[in-house]
Amino acid sequence: MVSDGHPAARILVVEDTPTQAELARALLGSLGYQARIAPSAGWALVAAREWQPDAILVDIELPDYNGFELMQQLHGEGIDAAVIVVTANASISAAVQAMRAGAVDFIVKPYAKARLAVTLANVLEKRALVAVREQAETRADRDKFFGFIGSSAPMRAAYRTIESVAGSKASVFITGESGTGKELAADAVHRASPRASHHFVALNCGAIPRDLLESEVFGHVRGAFTGAANDREGAAKLADGGTLFLDEIGEMPLDMQVKLLRFVQTGTFSPVGSSKVERVDVRFVCATNRDPLLEVRAGRFREDLYYRLYVVPIDLPPLRARGDDVLAIARHFLVTFSREEARRFSGFSAEAEAMLLAYDWPGNVRQLQNVIRNVVVLHDGELVTAEMLPPPVYRPGIAVVPPAQAALPIAVTRGFEPDPQSPATPAAVASAPSDAWQGEIVPLATMERRLIVAALRQTDNDVPRAAALLEINPSTIYRKLQAWRALGLAI
Amino acid sequence: MNEPSFAAQLAEDLGPADLRHVLEVFGRDVARLTGVLREAAAGDDAIGFRRAAHGLAGAAGAVGARALEQECRKAMAQAETKLGELSATMSTIDVLAEDAMRELARFVAALDAS
Repeated sequence: MVSDGHPAARILVVEDTPTQAELARALLGSLGYQARIAPSAGWALVAAREWQPDAILVDIELPDYNGFELMQQLHGEGIDAAVIVVTANASISAAVQAMRAGAVDFIVKPYAKARLAVTLANVLEKRALVAVREQAETRADRDKFFGFIGSSAPMRAAYRTIESVAGSKASVFITGESGTGKELAADAVHRASPRASHHFVALNCGAIPRDLLESEVFGHVRGAFTGAANDREGAAKLADGGTLFLDEIGEMPLDMQVKLLRFVQTGTFSPVGSSKVERVDVRFVCATNRDPLLEVRAGRFREDLYYRLYVVPIDLPPLRARGDDVLAIARHFLVTFSREEARRFSGFSAEAEAMLLAYDWPGNVRQLQNVIRNVVVLHDGELVTAEMLPPPVYRPGIAVVPPAQAALPIAVTRGFEPDPQSPATPAAVASAPSDAWQGEIVPLATMERRLIVAALRQTDNDVPRAAALLEINPSTIYRKLQAWRALGLAI
Repeated sequence: MNEPSFAAQLAEDLGPADLRHVLEVFGRDVARLTGVLREAAAGDDAIGFRRAAHGLAGAAGAVGARALEQECRKAMAQAETKLGELSATMSTIDVLAEDAMRELARFVAALDAS
C-alpha cells in the first residue's frame, strides 16, 4: 500500500560462512547499502522473491545447491536483480562460467571494500540505465504504461490524461467499472508525478467499518476510544508530500464526507481524540465504480465535496471496449502464471483468442486474470485451446471467427458454418467495398460535427479522449466547438 | 592475522567496532568448523570434511589468515583423493588454527589498546 521513494539499494548476500557473511554485511553497511544475508540457495530464493533486492552477491559453493543453479532459478522466476558471483577461484574459466550463467560481474575472495564499492556502483548504475531505457520505451510504444497493458484508443487517451495531470496538484477522480484498474491508474498518477519519491497511501473506503474510517484517515491519539492503546498516524499523515488514494469514495458515510471536505479545503485535520490541528501536503486521487453525479443527485454524495474532488476526471473503459487489449493482457497473465505454476504455455490457439475477444468480460481485467489463472492451474501444453477456457468464456456450440479472418470486431455466430452471405457476419462486412456507404448523405461539415459531438458524448465531454477516438488533435475539437458556438449551432 | 597488510586494510575498511565483531565471528567459526572437521576425519566422511574445510578456508581468507586458508584448500582436494590422510591433515589445520587465533587475540588486544 505504501511505496517508498528512493531508499538505498538492497543487496542480498548469499553466503553460508558466518565470517564472510558478517564481513560483507559490515562493508555494505559502511557503503550505505541495505544488506540481508541468506545462508543457503533456498533462503536466497525466498528472500529474493519477498525483498526484491537490486543486486545479489552469490557464493558458488552453498550447502543445498550451487550458485549457478541458484542463478538459473532466479532467472526462471523472473527475478531481475543483478547477480555478482563471489568466488575464491580467480581463474578465467570460473569468470566465463559465471557470466554464462547470467552473472553481470564477479569478485574474487577475499576482497577489499574499494573493489566491492566499484563493482556494485557499476552494476547498479548499469541496471538503473536499463530501467530508464525500458521506461522510455514503454512510454514511447504505449503497449504498456506503468502497471497497464494495452494500446487501444481509449487507453491511450487515459494514459495521456494521466501524464498531463501528473505534474499538477489537481485532484483526480477516476471512474470505471470494477476490475478496470482504478488503483493502477491512481498509482500511475502518483508515480508519474513529482511526488513519486513520497508515499502513495491507498484506502478503500468501502472496506473499512464506518466507525473506524475517521481514525484510518486522520489517525487517533491514545485513549480516543476503547481499544486506542497508543497514538496512531492515519493515512492523511502518512501521505504527507505524496498521494492519498481514496478508493470507493462513494461508500464514505455523509458525516465523514463533511470532515473530508474540510481536510480537502484547508489541508488540515485533527486526529480523533485530539484538538491539535495538523497540516499536510497531500494530493487527492479518488475512485468509484458508480456515476458520481448520480450519487450527488441521489443525496448520497455531497455536492460541495464532488466539486472539490472532481477536478480532473479519468474514465477507465471496460475491457469489452478495449479491442485487442484483451489478448495483450491475456498473454501477459499467461506468461506470468505459467512461470509461477511451471507450465509450458506460450500462447493461445486462434479459436481461443476469438473466444476471448468475443466475450464481454463483465468483471473486466480482474475476471480475465482469474480465467487465465484457472486455465494455467488446470491444464498444460504449448497453446491454450478454446476447450481449456472455462464457462462462460467457452460456450460450446458457439463458433467465433478467428481474429485473422475478421477485419472488424469479432461477432459471435451460432453453429460452426456461418453463412458467408449474411450481412451480420464479419467476413461479409469486411468484404464489402469501402465505398458502399448506404446511409444518409449529408454535407461533410455536418457529418464532422455529428462525429465530434458523438465522440464527446461517448467520453462524457472528455475532449482529449474524444480527440484520441477521432485520431485528431484536441485543439481541433476546441476550435470547432468555439466556431459552432459562434454560429449558434446546437452542440 | 597472518598478513599484516591485509589486516591493516581490513581495519581501515571496517573501523574498530565492525572489525572486532567480524573477528569474534571468525573465532566462533574456527571453533565450530575445526570440531566438524575432526568428527568428519574420524568418521572418514569425505563430503563433510570437504564442506567444513571449504567453510574454514573462506573464513580464514576473509580475515587474512593465509596459511590456514591454504591448508584448508589443500585439505579440500585431499578429501577427494586421500581419505586415509585426513587425520594427519587435521593435525596441521589444528596447529594453524591455533596460530590464527593467537594472532587474532594479539590483534584485538592491539585494537583495544589503541
